[in-house]
Amino acid sequence: MKISYNWLKQYLDSDIKPESILDALPLLGFDIEETETLGPPQMEHVVVGQVIEYEAHPNADRLRLCKVKTDESEQIHSIICGAKNFKQGDKVMVALPGAVLPGNFKIKKSKLRGIESQGMLCSAKELNIGQDHEGIMIIEASVPLGTPINHCYSDSDIIFNLEITPNRVDVLSHIGVARELLARFGGSLQVPKLKTQLKTSDTLKPNALLKSLELKNTELCSEYAAVCIENVKIQKSPQWLIQSLEAVGLRSVNNVVDITNYVLHESGQPLHAFDSNKLENNSIQVRNAQKGEAIKTLDGKDYKLNESILVVADAQKPIAIAGVMGGANTEVDENSQSIILEAAYFDPSSIRRTARALGISTDSSYRFERGVDAVGIEYAIQRATELILEYAGGSVIGPKTRLGSALTDPTIIDFSPDLMRNFIGFSVSDAEVEAAFVSLNCSVEKTQGAQPAWRVRVPSYRNDLKRAVDLYEEFIRIFGTDKIPSVEISANGISPLDHPIYTFNDTVSHFLSGQSFNEAFLYTLRDVKEYEFLLGETHSDTEHLRLNNPLQSDQSHLRNSLIPGLLDVLELNHARQNSVNKFYERGRVFKSEEGSVTELVSVGFVSFAKGLNRQWLEREAFDFYKSKTLAENIIQLLPVASNDLDFSPIEQSALWQPLHSASAGSIKKEGYQVSVGLLNVKHLKEKWNLSEPVYAGSILVHPDLFNKKAEVFRYSAISNQPASSKDLSLIVDKSVLSSEVHTAIVRFAQSATEGFICESVNVFDVYEGEGLDTDKKSFTISMSFRAQDRTLKDAEVNKAFEKIQESVNQETNYQIRK
Amino acid sequence: MIEEKLDTLVTLVDESCPNLKNRAEFDNFKASISGPRGQLTEIMKSMGSVPKEEKPAMGKKINEAKQLIQKSFDAANNRIEEAELVSSLGAPIDPTLPSPDEAKGAIHPIAQVRDQVVDLFHRIGFSVAEGTELETEYYCFDALNIPSDHPARDMQDSYFMPESLSISNVSKKTDEQYLLRTHTSSVQIRTLLEEKPPIRIVAPGRCFRRDTPDATHSANFHQIEGLYVDKKVTLTDLKATLDYFVKQVFGASAKTRLRPSFFPFTEPSFEMDFYSPDLGKLSNKWLEIMGCGMVDPEVFKSVGLDPEEYSGFAFGMGIERIAMILQGVDDIRYYYHNDIRFLRQFSGIKQ
Repeated sequence: MKISYNWLKQYLDSDIKPESILDALPLLGFDIEETETLGPPQMEHVVVGQVIEYEAHPNADRLRLCKVKTDESEQIHSIICGAKNFKQGDKVMVALPGAVLPGNFKIKKSKLRGIESQGMLCSAKELNIGQDHEGIMIIEASVPLGTPINHCYSDSDIIFNLEITPNRVDVLSHIGVARELLARFGGSLQVPKLKTQLKTSDTLKPNALLKSLELKNTELCSEYAAVCIENVKIQKSPQWLIQSLEAVGLRSVNNVVDITNYVLHESGQPLHAFDSNKLENNSIQVRNAQKGEAIKTLDGKDYKLNESILVVADAQKPIAIAGVMGGANTEVDENSQSIILEAAYFDPSSIRRTARALGISTDSSYRFERGVDAVGIEYAIQRATELILEYAGGSVIGPKTRLGSALTDPTIIDFSPDLMRNFIGFSVSDAEVEAAFVSLNCSVEKTQGAQPAWRVRVPSYRNDLKRAVDLYEEFIRIFGTDKIPSVEISANGISPLDHPIYTFNDTVSHFLSGQSFNEAFLYTLRDVKEYEFLLGETHSDTEHLRLNNPLQSDQSHLRNSLIPGLLDVLELNHARQNSVNKFYERGRVFKSEEGSVTELVSVGFVSFAKGLNRQWLEREAFDFYKSKTLAENIIQLLPVASNDLDFSPIEQSALWQPLHSASAGSIKKEGYQVSVGLLNVKHLKEKWNLSEPVYAGSILVHPDLFNKKAEVFRYSAISNQPASSKDLSLIVDKSVLSSEVHTAIVRFAQSATEGFICESVNVFDVYEGEGLDTDKKSFTISMSFRAQDRTLKDAEVNKAFEKIQESVNQETNYQIRK
Repeated sequence: MIEEKLDTLVTLVDESCPNLKNRAEFDNFKASISGPRGQLTEIMKSMGSVPKEEKPAMGKKINEAKQLIQKSFDAANNRIEEAELVSSLGAPIDPTLPSPDEAKGAIHPIAQVRDQVVDLFHRIGFSVAEGTELETEYYCFDALNIPSDHPARDMQDSYFMPESLSISNVSKKTDEQYLLRTHTSSVQIRTLLEEKPPIRIVAPGRCFRRDTPDATHSANFHQIEGLYVDKKVTLTDLKATLDYFVKQVFGASAKTRLRPSFFPFTEPSFEMDFYSPDLGKLSNKWLEIMGCGMVDPEVFKSVGLDPEEYSGFAFGMGIERIAMILQGVDDIRYYYHNDIRFLRQFSGIKQ
């Protein structure tokens, strides 16, 4: 909201300098977004002078040596000037030594080409009056010598663009800001006095302008006031009015409209004027819009209305969206002769809903939706009436009509200075507290008794003050936050552990960055096109992870995986020729299952298979098994009982390369799900321009898993006896996974041993090729046996080994390779 | 006679051994001395012809000579073994060649600042709480004293999920709509509902606002929420805690001020500004760093705590904002491009 310093000054009885206002407003809670200076700033020693005569500078052709008078005395200033646009006798603006021009340009006596110049003749630009810098300013001859610049150009102004928090509707006006400044600096508010009191009637006395006035919805409009004025002359506003409105960023329309706007920015009460000749049946009613009704507003836009919208209407049609904007159909224009001036109290929620629904915010709706001062309605309509009579002529017909009343009982808050001192944590005197309240026009009534209690009466315009704690804030604001004393930090007691998700993320990050992965931060919102590409339009994630109100189509869906974002990072770095292979992200992702979405904790990593930059020494490529190990290690950081991940190959996927990638676990059963391996080579090229193979890992964890207690590990005896091992080669179908063979052998070994154990079963060689059928491969497995209490005898190990082989022959179709 | 031969042989061995170049030469030479037909063997064979009475003395001589010869052999053997080991190791390394392995990965600058902030609050007894990015209108707004038609909701335009959507692990109060949280303040409510005071938490997390992206707005960003609730927490505690924080992050020369402001969930509410003489371009001006205030009684009521009994303060700061000030970054979007040259600037890793 823009506040003009010149405008503001009228309401202050003391001279508060702009610099003081700049310092004070933020600490009162009104942040200044921007300050703008209009016209010349306040300048000393810049006055109107007259060029008595001039001659060419003896040492410089382009300079003139001028004799300038700045008063009626005999004193002559010798000033050198480069401009040529003036003649003898012209009046000009003279900056004398000691003047400081805009841009901190200090004027002093100085020598130019050997001759002293005792000041400067100024251009408009140098004085911040205009853009003209071609020559010096020539002033009208009638202006007396010695007139200070700020008298000639009194329209210099400072505009404060304030950010007013939504709780402070009372400050959305010049008087409102003035009140706040006076609370800080002291002084009394100079509200323009009303010359006469209009008579008020609480029913309409029908007249030629207004024959009927009905308030049909008193819930949404608790008070509606109207004044009828006839024989007005609509014309251009006086200069001061135009200037005032332009200063706060408004455009002048005509005298009547300008006055309603002026009073709004003066007092905070929105007003509206209708052309009464344009009213159907000279009737006004405040009612809900009817289905199918529409209105063209003053800004020329058309709006369709619905039953929840309150309108002001004549006998036939809406003539204003109540509290938001007037209709073009009853606009006051140059032909208007009689007007009806409106002031009202509209229900804040209703105005807000309407403004949101229609997507309009006006100075008027902005204030109504925050709740205007019910007491101020009366003043505003009278003030506007007086200004209209003064600047547009005409006369008021009949009394002012006022239907309903928005007035409520004044708010009185029970307040205890002791409780406040407990709350703020430092000591202040009752007198200081009371002084702060009084400065805000709150009146304090103290009740006698053991517990000192105050009854604080709040002014009607402060609808934000309702509770004692609201008064604590007012006290601190006026007292000054800089006076809150510094104390020691109190940090008693023992703090609980960090949330395990945070700890997990922290550990993962150190683990992965230790493995040369770089951390990336990516957006949660992804492109619908990516979903359609990777999952298809009918996939439940495409369907359920869609935002209701995306801002742009490339940010329409919640991510269900960190991998696509990481591919964006590889693509960007690759395109920029950055040599880097590995990235990871930790973050939340979303999955839809059976129509319900779950927010999951996730870690994702990607790595090019081969380092992209050439090295003097070749390193091993990153492959499936490296990505698998990383994923297993990350899962181990979870509070889960086992890190045995039961991987099975991914057979179909647009993101992963089928049969070169695998997944394990499920959110529903284990609480986590892991996918690792090669990413879909074709799609990577198509969508991310990546032609080198990329391996990745994606770990999804249900947050509930972190509530589990971590497993407690306990000691079991370790044998000191030597181990004995046996190797077994098995020929199997190519499609058989090692885990199947491993599981079988572990089971066989368990039943084959007695009195000792098979400690480990390990697939250590995989072979296919010469000597084997093309659809076969062989696994070689080593088994290690050990007893707790003795060295195993060859005979018993052999016996066990034979039993295992028997089991293989009987229970599987694996063929033992001799 | 034998004595002379022995002396000659010892001298021969002593002189020859250092010149043996490799294992083969050594083995040949050794065979020529102590092998079956070696010179020493021959000499020992001739012991039989030595008169009996001279035998002990001669035996001693031979032993001495054998020892000397063995010593030479051992020395040569050690020397050759060492040479063999050295040559098996290949050419000596050039310690100035670049390591072909990838350097340690960089931790993202936003994560670094977040962890730095969290650590500062750890030191004064705060623990990390986690919340979900999906929230409901109730926990994001209503419980924080921001009713649905309140203008304060305009301050934050939100991304909503479809009304029919069900979310398995984010609970609703009644039948309100799901949205992406606009601030981490929702964690205040969830924590206050689950735990009993004293509560001292910081909750870092991702937030979303429906803003058009530009140099200071990003589709998602991160905040850290802080909450301290106990009996007798005062406004001076708020000031002490946040002053400590600012001075730790921006140095002891930083000044702070509390500028009155408005948040529906705190009363009084403030924006904390700070002022630092050594922040480069941002030196010597007041910079907004976080919103804060005393927990509003309405918030206590919405979580079933008695505002007469408990008090507390809350604060919330934008991590990107602090990072941009600390790291001198002037466009928030750089953090989300993840150009490795950018990321490495904050991790001390050479390009």
